[in-house]
Amino acid sequence: MKKRPTLPASLRNPMSGALNRRQMMGGMAAGLAAAGMPQTALSQQDQIALLTWDAYADPRLLDMWRKETGKDIRYEIHISDPTSVNRLRAGETSVWNFVNLNNPWARQVMWPENLIYDLPRERFEPLYAQMFEKFAMPYDWALSQDGNHLLGVVQRFETFDFCVNSDVISPATAKDEGWDLFNNPDFAGRYGILAYEDWNVMDICMGAGIHPFKAKTEDDYAKFEETARRWINNAKMITTDFVQLNLAMLNGEIDLYFTGGTYTASSARAEGATNIYAITPNSGPADGKGGINWIELNSAVANPTGKEATFDFLEWITTPDAAEIVARGNGNLQPVAQMAQDEVLSRFSADELDAIQWDEFDERISNAVEFDIIPDYDRLYDIYSAAIRDRG
Amino acid sequence: MNPRFLGPLFMAPVALFLLVGFATPIVIVGWYSLMEPRSFGLTSDLTLANYRSALTEGYGAPFYWSILGAFVTTLSCAVIAWPTAKMLHARAGRGAAVITGLIAVPIFVSESVRLFGLSLFLMPGGGILAGSLKALFGVSIGTVLNTKLAVYLGLLYVHFPFMLFPLLLGVALIPQDRVDAARDLGANRWQVLREVELPLALPGLAIGALLTFVLCIGANAESAILGGQAVTVVTRAIEQRFSYAQDWPMGAALTMLVTLVTALVVFPVLSRVDLNRLIRR
Repeated sequence: MKKRPTLPASLRNPMSGALNRRQMMGGMAAGLAAAGMPQTALSQQDQIALLTWDAYADPRLLDMWRKETGKDIRYEIHISDPTSVNRLRAGETSVWNFVNLNNPWARQVMWPENLIYDLPRERFEPLYAQMFEKFAMPYDWALSQDGNHLLGVVQRFETFDFCVNSDVISPATAKDEGWDLFNNPDFAGRYGILAYEDWNVMDICMGAGIHPFKAKTEDDYAKFEETARRWINNAKMITTDFVQLNLAMLNGEIDLYFTGGTYTASSARAEGATNIYAITPNSGPADGKGGINWIELNSAVANPTGKEATFDFLEWITTPDAAEIVARGNGNLQPVAQMAQDEVLSRFSADELDAIQWDEFDERISNAVEFDIIPDYDRLYDIYSAAIRDRG
Repeated sequence: MNPRFLGPLFMAPVALFLLVGFATPIVIVGWYSLMEPRSFGLTSDLTLANYRSALTEGYGAPFYWSILGAFVTTLSCAVIAWPTAKMLHARAGRGAAVITGLIAVPIFVSESVRLFGLSLFLMPGGGILAGSLKALFGVSIGTVLNTKLAVYLGLLYVHFPFMLFPLLLGVALIPQDRVDAARDLGANRWQVLREVELPLALPGLAIGALLTFVLCIGANAESAILGGQAVTVVTRAIEQRFSYAQDWPMGAALTMLVTLVTALVVFPVLSRVDLNRLIRR
């Protein structure tokens, strides 16, 4: 016997502020239900909507949630972190329940702007004790700036820098050379660019000898522009599809590409193409580091509808069965914080661990600076996109 | 009922649909294009800053590549589609139906899937073309993938049917007796083509050219999937403004300019095509 939803207040009083599409649809569903129409699991209180990177859109994960709870769940995949933050700012907090973004956004933007809820600490802090030492509480990225509020649950994390064909460039050399590989004239026309453009901006900073997450001087902008134009003009190909870059590497068209990491290499490596090799430089201009370490933080959007179900979901994704699916999310193997538990780690075969170059994982993380919001991103991005327009 | 009202009455549903589904979005985009750069509201002071940026910040190249690509593709499609249409019309029968089907069926497959297939075909080393030549004849060839030529091939491949089918209609408008009469009066092949066939088939040709040109101006996937962004087309520049740059007003201004370019091409052509004549068989 399903509980029938009541009509949302906004529909009982249509003049009470702007109606968004979801309320409208929910209202229509409620209206249909009230009219005695068959109801398709559309109970407003129970359905949650995910605004997420790809892992949480894995159909196995969603099906498992539906089976275990009888609650419906839907998703949309991000274009980029800032795009989704802007959508929440533009009023979509009433559309989404769960948002999965890279580490800086919750602490520096979403919490100060009241776009997300804080989580009950007594319920969620123990989850951090089951993760790697790196995340031991108080873990800054998961906390508000005053340290009083817990803003989300950490799960997937990895470095994301570049990939080489290890048959052509030895990984040891690649790590030593770091971003200078792309400054090396020998590789002009021999590399590709994966157009994850905010990442490209960070990489070009690294190649220009600039700390991506610190304020820039005019001199820095000049260096950035020179590097951006050179790197973009010398690229053999630029694409948003990393499968094409991996194929181009296997076909010998290119020897390396940025931005890349186990995120782009793991599915190819799992199928035997182990010469596609993720590299995090040994050193670079970001406090001596050359790699960038992203950490996804899962937060509850400040949406009163479905709040409790969202908290349940945030806790549930850290259980071994769910965490395993997230690590394999959408066929793209990535490390999760729960792999600190033997129970989770033992579920991955030697081949799978080799696909994510697990033996070098700690080394990669220690050689990387943690992802952050890029100051003056707008100006850097405009330089980058102008260089893209001039190509050809 | 006054018959004078019948026309507007019958037109009302379509007019309303076009107003809501076509005119209103363009007005909204036009309004956005007058907002402050990188703002999200619709209430800031009106400014022409975005149009100034469009003219001064290197957007010329994407416009140039999109328009050039559309122009060259339209021309090439016409040159290839003309003899094809003539042949299919002259030999109407089972063979022609099969060929028409072969050209039409791929339209129902997603464009991205078709282009990725073409990219697998063109790849060096393990690509279908290069791999087969190597295996069968021991010949090693390079690839045009990730070049401007690949973008052009993709445009041609995707848009050819949009030229062919209107042109088939156009060719069907040529009465055989006119061609025979011209021949009897001593016209050579070239003269028949120029003075009889082309003018008679012009409506079909014009509509095919319009479809091809407009679709090519908005094409993005060819450059992305086959060309490795060897050139940045204007749709890609717009997409960048809306997504990574989070600069909706600038994206809207570029969109308006593309709409303007398209309108400048479409309206003069449409004003010269008599659709009634094309449909009246």
